[in-house]
Amino acid sequence: MSICLEYKKLKRTGFLPAFFGGGLLSAFVPIGNMMFRSEIFVNSPEPALKILFNANWQMMAMLNLFLIVIGACIMYHTEYADNAMQKMDALPIRQSSNFFSKFFILTVSIIAVLAIEAASLAFCIHHWFSLYDEFAIELLKSIGYAAILAVPTLILMTGIASICKNMWISLGVGIICMFVATMIPKTNFILSLFPFALPFQTLWDTESTRIFQFICGVGIETGVFGMAELIYLKVRRKFQ
Amino acid sequence: MNIIETNKLTKSYSDFMAVSNVDLHIRKGSIYGLLGPNGAGKSTIMKMFLGLMQPTSGSFTIDGKSYPTDRLKILSEIGSFIEGPAFYGNLSGEENLEIIRKILGLPKSSVSEVLDLMGLTEHRKRLAKKYSLGMKQRLGLAGALIGKPPILILDEPTNGLDPVGIHEVRNLIRYLPKKFECTVLISSHLLSEIELMVDDIGILNHGQLLFEGTLDEFRYSAGEKGYSTDKLEDTFLTMIEEDNRKRGAIR
Repeated sequence: MSICLEYKKLKRTGFLPAFFGGGLLSAFVPIGNMMFRSEIFVNSPEPALKILFNANWQMMAMLNLFLIVIGACIMYHTEYADNAMQKMDALPIRQSSNFFSKFFILTVSIIAVLAIEAASLAFCIHHWFSLYDEFAIELLKSIGYAAILAVPTLILMTGIASICKNMWISLGVGIICMFVATMIPKTNFILSLFPFALPFQTLWDTESTRIFQFICGVGIETGVFGMAELIYLKVRRKFQ
Repeated sequence: MNIIETNKLTKSYSDFMAVSNVDLHIRKGSIYGLLGPNGAGKSTIMKMFLGLMQPTSGSFTIDGKSYPTDRLKILSEIGSFIEGPAFYGNLSGEENLEIIRKILGLPKSSVSEVLDLMGLTEHRKRLAKKYSLGMKQRLGLAGALIGKPPILILDEPTNGLDPVGIHEVRNLIRYLPKKFECTVLISSHLLSEIELMVDDIGILNHGQLLFEGTLDEFRYSAGEKGYSTDKLEDTFLTMIEEDNRKRGAIR
């Protein structure tokens, strides 16, 4: 019920158009790249999907991160703007349940964006390369891996937005984290575990032994941020 | 029988005592007026009842349930309106109430009932952020009244309303205990504003409870202390001034 309520709260906030528009924009990145520079890519001997990921994923991941940041900010802005959060606090519902519902909606939204991006990549391969046997499985694996790596960013950004009453602060923190992530070298495993840096990783440029380590890292980070939010909610109540 | 009882309820900050050892006794089915000037601690007490603030010391029970153990059970019995309306500006009045209805698990008809009661039916589809101040106040009250909760906590509910609106809300509150079989705790900084509707009053100043009882008991007590009792508002103000003077002398 809480997820349904949280979804209803997003009415007229621009959340869905932002994700749909953002998804389309991100999906246009590989199409635009192929439209203008196809000769560079079609002659490469590497698998088509790897070529597309290597050429476009940094920009696409950046747009996805931006959507996560603004999505989380929009969600909590509606709570704080007209003091609705106080009304929610005075009703028999747990704030933790609201938080995890918001996190779930944000996760589903980013999966929808990834699905649009996957469709765009499929279109590029169909149009400029040729579809091959393992293509669908490889695409699913790549997008699934991207979705898994986005989870710590999703929960951390939802947490940041839940803490900041002023939306501009959470937006600013999110943007700073995004730019910090772009400065982190992808080859450094420890630094790459920074939640905002994880979505820049792709299945194609990660060693098979590292993939499992990244997934473990994602699990640990998600658990830690989830626990941290629960503790924060308890502490906030104590010190109000 | 008391539905709300506090026991030495205290809320202090590092350099400020907002509420000090307050013992309130609110009878079931009564309208209890919490009176005091700005900063007396009225809203702080109400916020503590709702779990929006944590007491520094002391305790309270609401309908036999103690805080913080039964916080969610307590909240399911209280309709509240604290420090002005709180709503989702991007949703219509009806959608705002629909969210509260779903959380409280009430029947669908409760939204239209409360919209009707607060005179908002005509404006139910309009966005809450586009409401006038008075309409936002009514929406906040509708959010408190939805589902006819057994306890209502209203913090200065007539703020921002025009004289007609004030009159309507006063009349509504006056008949709530009979109509909804509920107990009402209402705060105000003016005795004249609530003296026609309350059964009992509690007078707060600088976080301390100066008086608690019925209006007749207040009149009698004030008379014994030598205050004029012709106008209760003046008596109340004299009592506050006297308390402030004593505090000044102590300092």
